[in-house]
Amino acid sequence: MRSIWLLLLLALGLALAQRYFSEQDLERIRASGPKYAEALVGQRPDQALCSIHKNRLPADLLPKFIEEQRALIQYPKDGKLMGDWKKGGAIFNNMAKANCFSCHFGSPLNLGGDVGPSLEKYGLNRGQSEAIQRYTYEVIYNAWAYFPCTVMYRFGVQGLLTPEEIADVVAYLLDPNSDFNTKPAAGRR
Amino acid sequence: MFLLLAWGLSQEVDPREEAKRQKELLLQTAGVLPSELIVEQGKELFYAKRGPKNASLEGCDFGLGPGVLKGASVRLPRYFMDTNKVEDLDSRIRTCMIQLQGFKPEEIKRSEVVAIAFYVAAQSDGMPVQVRLLYPSEKAFYELGERLFYARSGARDIGCATCHVTYLGKRAGVLPYADVINVAGKGAAMTHWPAYRYSNDQAWTMEDRIRACYGNLGHPAPEFYSPAVIALQLFMAYHANGAKAELPGFLR
Repeated sequence: MRSIWLLLLLALGLALAQRYFSEQDLERIRASGPKYAEALVGQRPDQALCSIHKNRLPADLLPKFIEEQRALIQYPKDGKLMGDWKKGGAIFNNMAKANCFSCHFGSPLNLGGDVGPSLEKYGLNRGQSEAIQRYTYEVIYNAWAYFPCTVMYRFGVQGLLTPEEIADVVAYLLDPNSDFNTKPAAGRR
Repeated sequence: MFLLLAWGLSQEVDPREEAKRQKELLLQTAGVLPSELIVEQGKELFYAKRGPKNASLEGCDFGLGPGVLKGASVRLPRYFMDTNKVEDLDSRIRTCMIQLQGFKPEEIKRSEVVAIAFYVAAQSDGMPVQVRLLYPSEKAFYELGERLFYARSGARDIGCATCHVTYLGKRAGVLPYADVINVAGKGAAMTHWPAYRYSNDQAWTMEDRIRACYGNLGHPAPEFYSPAVIALQLFMAYHANGAKAELPGFLR
């Protein structure tokens, strides 16, 4: 009996969690193209929550949201959070791949944008402690675990980068021998 | 290139001012603006007897009565009784090409719709945007547009507001994000579309622009003339109400 109630509660929770578009909206979205509809009708519960609150979650929802986002983070199989900085640089500076430079300043190859914070000389300013490696890795894997509903892509959660590729980007940012830390940033901020 | 870019950034040139300067420059050197040529092209298409019914578009009702073009485009999107649909400039042109000229939907060329949109929009140059939410379906489209604007979706969690509200004026790439819903109170994007973009020689309507926004971020785009692309425009146009239109737009 108790399990039935739990199931009902769960179903209700899911129904509430996903209710962002009305039935009428969904009908019109479906009439706007199959691929477009797929992306919007298939909105995930966490995306719906950010949409409902216009990207500013109320304080009482934050602890649960952050906990759920943290639970999505996975790590490289070998446990190394710093990989190959050269591979990381190719990912960081590729517009079709991670496209980090479009929002962040600091790349020696590409003039950076100012949507995200400047990452200039990231590793020189912060060192390479286990704590900073973990923080950097986790923010790239799932930015919403630290900055709920932020614009930054959730590279790991959404499968845009593998854990190993993220570790390569961490190395690009942190390794004192990385071009990111030895060469001057392109352009002026 | 980097030096030039860096110089440009340090000067903090307003992209709208820069576009005005380029417009003057083109006018002085070429004597005519590409946007004006597209308006002329649209005018020819508008008055030519074409299609299976061998008719012009002079009888097309853009909301103010058949053939009334002045002030029509700044009042779009709006609800039309004959189609029982909320339509924007693009979709209304398409409707008239089907109804008056007898074209089949698959025969309608996008480039012709764009040129005709330039001509029709040019007749509202200098007038204030004034869309309304009178009919229930206009209200429903506005609400859908608002929800789409704030929606997060796709593998990159994208959403219009995420950049065009939260990071207004910031830059990812060369240009700062445009104020598309008049957050800063200095006018909104809907006042200058359809537009000619001189940096890549493109004639675009707002439908093209919205679709490119989605496409640039790797998200599937709503189809041309679809409810979603019209709803987003009604939402943006409502926030531009009262702002003076510059039509057709001339942009970077």
